[in-house]
Amino acid sequence: MLERFHVPDQEIILIPEENLRNVTEQIFQSQGMPEKDCKLATDALISSDLRGVETHGVSNMVRAYLGAFKSKNINPKPNWKVVKETPSCITIDSDAGLGIVVAPQAMEIAAEKAKKTGVGLVTLGNGRHIGMLAYHAMIALKYDMIGTCMAACSPRMVPTFSSKKAIGTNPIAYAAPADKLPPFVFDAAMTSVAGNKIVLASRLGVPLEPGWIADDNGNPIMEKVNMKDLDQYEDESKNLEERYASGYISSSVDLLPFGGTREMGSHKSYSMAMVVDVLAGILNGSKTAPTGEHTGQGHFLAAYSVDAFIDTKEFKELMDRYLQSLLDLPSNSEGKEVVYAGYIEAREQGKRKKEGIPLHPEVVEWYKKTSIELKIDQLI
Amino acid sequence: MLERFHVPEEDEIRVSSEKLRKTAEQIFVKCGMSLANSKIATDVLLSADIRGVDTHGVSNMLRNYVLYLSEGSAKANPNWKIVRETESCATIDCDEGLGLVVAPQAMDIAIEKAKKTGVGLVSMGNGRHLGMAGYHAMMALEHDMIGTCMTSSTTNVVPTYAAKAGLGTNPIAVAAPALNKAPFVFDAATSAIATNKVRVAQRLGVPLAAGWITDAKGNPIMEETPLDIKEDPDKVNNLLQTPVGATRELGSHKGYSLGMVVDILGSILNGSLAGPLRTMKQHQNHFVAAYSIEAFTSVQKFKEMMDEYLQALEDLPPVEGQERVLYAGLMEYETEAERKNIGIPLHPEVINWFKNICSELGLDFDMTENGGNN
Repeated sequence: MLERFHVPDQEIILIPEENLRNVTEQIFQSQGMPEKDCKLATDALISSDLRGVETHGVSNMVRAYLGAFKSKNINPKPNWKVVKETPSCITIDSDAGLGIVVAPQAMEIAAEKAKKTGVGLVTLGNGRHIGMLAYHAMIALKYDMIGTCMAACSPRMVPTFSSKKAIGTNPIAYAAPADKLPPFVFDAAMTSVAGNKIVLASRLGVPLEPGWIADDNGNPIMEKVNMKDLDQYEDESKNLEERYASGYISSSVDLLPFGGTREMGSHKSYSMAMVVDVLAGILNGSKTAPTGEHTGQGHFLAAYSVDAFIDTKEFKELMDRYLQSLLDLPSNSEGKEVVYAGYIEAREQGKRKKEGIPLHPEVVEWYKKTSIELKIDQLI
Repeated sequence: MLERFHVPEEDEIRVSSEKLRKTAEQIFVKCGMSLANSKIATDVLLSADIRGVDTHGVSNMLRNYVLYLSEGSAKANPNWKIVRETESCATIDCDEGLGLVVAPQAMDIAIEKAKKTGVGLVSMGNGRHLGMAGYHAMMALEHDMIGTCMTSSTTNVVPTYAAKAGLGTNPIAVAAPALNKAPFVFDAATSAIATNKVRVAQRLGVPLAAGWITDAKGNPIMEETPLDIKEDPDKVNNLLQTPVGATRELGSHKGYSLGMVVDILGSILNGSLAGPLRTMKQHQNHFVAAYSIEAFTSVQKFKEMMDEYLQALEDLPPVEGQERVLYAGLMEYETEAERKNIGIPLHPEVINWFKNICSELGLDFDMTENGGNN
């Protein structure tokens, strides 16, 4: 994440991982989720916070999920089931269960299939928020597999040349194991920024970059703007509580496909978002965002067994050499270190496991209030 | 493709696809290919021209292939083979054969596997250029499958914040069938533009847009850059390109990472060196996949939903100054219908190249302007 999205140092409150895990699990339990599911959901959220992906950690997500439970948008006890199956493929109906609960279990099925045939693919319909996609893709790593995760989301993206939004941010994640270096873990929205980043920017009061959002006619805004200066959008940080209470998950701002304009390649990210709609939506029979009848989220997961293609040890050693050769590239005039996706996150994870997870005072305050309301343990 | 990459109408010479096909096949045979291989290779090339993907058709690519085959950097009749296999996966050693010839056969293998298990994946090492990646992905369509093709290619794209090239333009193609509408066919470099587009821009004398290339220190150039039409083509090939997104703030790290995915699946998974470790320019490795729709859902229902989806996108009101909202594959589908009918527009410089190569190889030159009627 860009520096601006992190909680400023002077405001940070460090919370030990175990405290955050304990209280978050109890919050999920209070909503009627089975204990096993609470552990799965909490692990997905805390992993985001540990990896420094605050946008998809407890700060934004727990209260959004609470609102969605209240409005009955999420089923706390999903009876998810397999609706179609072949040796390498499976289609699942998530029964309106949280993706952070259903997807990890589906990923285990994909890995089982990959052990036998070399690959396992799962498309999941009728799902709900899946948290940080990388979490699910990374499940493949422990089996020496390459993992993929995609989510077909509600309309946020303005397709190239369109005057209104029609497609989701539709993130894509890939994880591939290495030997000694941190694994390659890519996880990104096909918009310039994830919807959650807009909420975060509003909360922190930082400006949005050129090429991130569209004006009310769909034209890319190619200069820096502050959310509060745009008449077309309400300041989403103002009435967050109200929005969360209605089950609101992310920003409603019109986002551009990454690249921003056609000349800069926005048609490529728009098309990649379409790939996600096809694999995570249409392939399981879900209505897509542009049709106007889209509900919840559709998901797609895959596990590719490295051993099916090549000796695992040889692959991992080659990965190390490849990743190291990228790290070794000299920097351009900006002087920032050249990294690969997953490198900074792995470093952050080591640090946060030791020092605790930095939360914004506003988030700590919310936990305090919620713990009193739900009569559960306090964070600190 | 952007308008600037098409041959200007006043310059174009229309040649029928059949004439072009016959000539290209003969050239490949003269370069040592078996007739069967030359037919496969030509079909890949021609389908790029017919679909309006001029960057990957005969104009840019045929002369490169002739060069590779004559200098021996690609084999005309490779003895490619499967080196590892499971029910759903295969690893192929291309034996230095052009992807143009080997990839369609690898895609056949993926499709066969998908018929049995639901999916087929093939990673191909020791390969050479495979033409328009979309061709191979599209092979899945007639089997009611979703197809993918990726190529881990020559290193000339500068990773986010780097001062030197670290990975290839690494294109990704995905094709998915529809019922009555043009299929979704996405095919794009994970760099801002394909290297071939730089060649086309040079031939046409048009400038490169902001965010496409970097300066010598790896900094993205965020203004239009004119290309000198007389410039040495080798120098053009060595231009440093940006990942899609151009700058970190606009998402270049996403283009860079997608490029890495291609390196991992297309190269490392078959044991090839990728990125900064690559040593040979002509060496390109590939990954193809076929997903059977039937394995997941009813084919009929899928295709109906695709039509509904694609129509919903086409129906979006366009921004001011644009005629319509497109989806990947729509324009190419329309161009295909047109070019099959009235021929393929070639630049005079390309016609001239054909004239010379035909004379050099002792072939009849027959490319007078006559459209698709004879």
